[in-house]
Amino acid sequence: MTDTLVATPAETPHCVFDAKDFSSGAHPVWCPGCGDYGVLASLERALAKQGRPPHEVVLVSGIGCSSRLPGYMSTYGFHGVHGRALPVATGLKLTRPDLEVIAVGGDGDGYSIGGNHFIHACRRNVDMLYLVMDNRVYGMTKGQPSPTTEADWDSDIAPGGIGLRPFNPLAVAVASGANYVARGFSGDPNGLADLIVDAIRWPGFAFIEVLSPCVTFRPEQREWKKMVRPSAISIEQDRAAATALVLADDGFSMGVLYRGDRAPIAPALKPEISVADVEREFMVAV
Amino acid sequence: MARTSIAVVFAGSGGSGAMTAGAVFLRAAAHAGYYGMMTQLFGAQVRGGESASLVQVSTAPIETQPDCYDLFVALDWEKVEQFAAEIPLDDRSIILADPAEGPVPAGIAKSKGRVVALAMNDPTENKLARALRGKRVNMFAAGCVCALTGIGDGDAKAAIDTIFDGKGADLIAANAAGATLGAQAAPALALDLWLEPPRKAARWLINGNQAVAFGALRGGVRFVGCYPITPATDLVEWLAPHLIKLGGRLVLGEDELASVNMTLGASYGGTPAMTVTSGPGFSLMIETLGLAVAAEIPFVLVDVMRAGPSTGIASKTEQSDINLAIYGGHGDAPRIVLAPVSVADCVNTGEYAVYVAESLQTPVIVLSDQALGQATTVIDPSSDRPAPLRRRVNGVAPGKPFKRYATGGDPITPMPLPGTPQLEWVAEGLTHNEAGLPASGAAAHVAQIEKRAKKIRQFDPGDHWGEVWGDGDVAIIAIGSTIGPAREAAKRLAASGQKVRVIALRVLSPLPMAALGRALDGVRRIVVIEQNHGAQLYHYLLGHKAIPSSAESVARPGPSPFRPLEIASYVV
Repeated sequence: MTDTLVATPAETPHCVFDAKDFSSGAHPVWCPGCGDYGVLASLERALAKQGRPPHEVVLVSGIGCSSRLPGYMSTYGFHGVHGRALPVATGLKLTRPDLEVIAVGGDGDGYSIGGNHFIHACRRNVDMLYLVMDNRVYGMTKGQPSPTTEADWDSDIAPGGIGLRPFNPLAVAVASGANYVARGFSGDPNGLADLIVDAIRWPGFAFIEVLSPCVTFRPEQREWKKMVRPSAISIEQDRAAATALVLADDGFSMGVLYRGDRAPIAPALKPEISVADVEREFMVAV
Repeated sequence: MARTSIAVVFAGSGGSGAMTAGAVFLRAAAHAGYYGMMTQLFGAQVRGGESASLVQVSTAPIETQPDCYDLFVALDWEKVEQFAAEIPLDDRSIILADPAEGPVPAGIAKSKGRVVALAMNDPTENKLARALRGKRVNMFAAGCVCALTGIGDGDAKAAIDTIFDGKGADLIAANAAGATLGAQAAPALALDLWLEPPRKAARWLINGNQAVAFGALRGGVRFVGCYPITPATDLVEWLAPHLIKLGGRLVLGEDELASVNMTLGASYGGTPAMTVTSGPGFSLMIETLGLAVAAEIPFVLVDVMRAGPSTGIASKTEQSDINLAIYGGHGDAPRIVLAPVSVADCVNTGEYAVYVAESLQTPVIVLSDQALGQATTVIDPSSDRPAPLRRRVNGVAPGKPFKRYATGGDPITPMPLPGTPQLEWVAEGLTHNEAGLPASGAAAHVAQIEKRAKKIRQFDPGDHWGEVWGDGDVAIIAIGSTIGPAREAAKRLAASGQKVRVIALRVLSPLPMAALGRALDGVRRIVVIEQNHGAQLYHYLLGHKAIPSSAESVARPGPSPFRPLEIASYVV
């Protein structure tokens, strides 16, 4: 289904960069072994490959371990409040389409407190990337179940398990209108970097769910590296087929799930009137 | 004997056209050269409830609801009783009604006003036939009132042309014919409601919500994130097409959290940005207000106050968000709070808010209220525009790392736009160091809090701080829509020999202590008037020792407007 609007012109790479050009050099707060290191490395590689200089990139995040990421990169950044990365990124990209806007965060930030924004960002289809580092736990507050946590995972706050069906972010993204939906793994930085470049270049709202283990509160996630596998197929255009595929999947198929042909939201119009024209509307002649 | 002003009510059931009748009368009066103001009363129903337009027309500017209405025009009596208590009438009022609509209801009749019969409908037509012909009782009534007050048929016709522009020549002609019939019925009523001739000049017809929006556009706002909420929605509905044609963008967020954060995102990118809401939405935005303080991101937040707490009364006014605006949020989060002093002032205060936000890199709250926002008023064209102020984006001291949040010098530090090479920075809501990196030590925390406090402390609004009228030794302090009735009360008291000065605060926070002190010079008695139960403004002024403990408080909740008589009776 092609719904509406105007295609944006493709941007061509115009510089040569190295991954380290995108590092701020600041030392992350993350635990040794955290999957987010792999995501940071992937993002640096991807941006170097994409070829836009750090000052033309803005990383926007909310709150949580993974939301600290903008501080570790040499780009512009916005580290806002919990759950609101997507609205900030939306306002920024709509007024500054010249910038490469990337929103990042975790599963609690994006699917719980920010869940409403996730749905509506998919609907709006603003041309930007949203990258979620999903470790199925609230790590910064030391181990509470998140929307993607398994129903029976035992924790202090929910003894015996939270008892809720885990949220399926990819299915929600497809159903809500995201134009690019993929899953990556922090343990495969090269593969993830390629996915990020592909997602950035695809028009419209691109969403990548990254499995990024929390070795501190979910040590069993170390096993993920043995469980992930490349996806056999990806779907173009057909949202029903993509939804069926993702609902039948065990959550460990990596790669592009869906790529659509929705044109992103159109840029603002060129001014047609002046403030003086507006002022005249109030005038009552005598 | 000709009068200088008249206050008229057009009332009827929803769909009776009472609002349009009021709009035609007001615009016709403006065409004729009069000042005027129209407010509206609605029931809670979306369609089909009671409705009334309350219109005053005068040879002088109007900024207050009247003590009493001179003329009550009933388009029908179906639901009028439901808001009879909100429309003051007395034995000098004239009640104009069609006997075919039945007897005057008790709630209106108890005023002892003089009932004058006026056949507004053709008695030979049944209701269905009238509906098919197009219900024009309201135009009949508007035309009749124009004629009764001396406003010519040509002015009524001009108003109808404008109000029904685009609805087709047939409809315009039919409405104009209805108004003419009403005008022809006027002389037989033999009522003495003639207005003195006005001092003619081209004026603006504008409501407070439009005025704030227009001011913001003039100040450079080109992004608005918003979510529908009464009584602020009509502000953004007016704004949307204008903003788009000016090359800007209005985004309807999925909630107020999205709206305010989109606004911040746009502002971070360098576009002056605004969000517009009312009490419940403002409450939801408070966390992000703190972020804007901490990360030093400018934006304007317009709160068109309504009766609270919780959902309160969505369509009716109150001034009960003063505490929320000044103090709302956790942590030390100083911000600027402005309050327009009249409908006309909404333009300049809206514009000024943008300049202050941009130049201080901080949120600015514009506290309007429903009574200002939804009062359609005839004003003199806005002049005395505030001097433009811009965001400081250049002038970075050389050296790495770039210290976006540098302390020790001017607290307003350069805020380079994203896209500027070599000056990358992170807008940070965590306590941060000068370079914007998270820091949890005491030194950075204290230094950054002091940096932001200093910005607010050194803010000098100059003449924008407020307004003073009169020089009596009794002072009334007021904000927003209570200023108008306070000024009217002071005029009446002056006429009876008691001089009263009225002090209006345009800058609520930071409190302009020196200017307020000068304004209070020589005053022996202070009365603080506000429309909330908790005396929020009074306690704020008392807490800052801006007024002595002997100052008096007149604080009562909305939604009933303060009327001049109520204030004059207290002060006298």
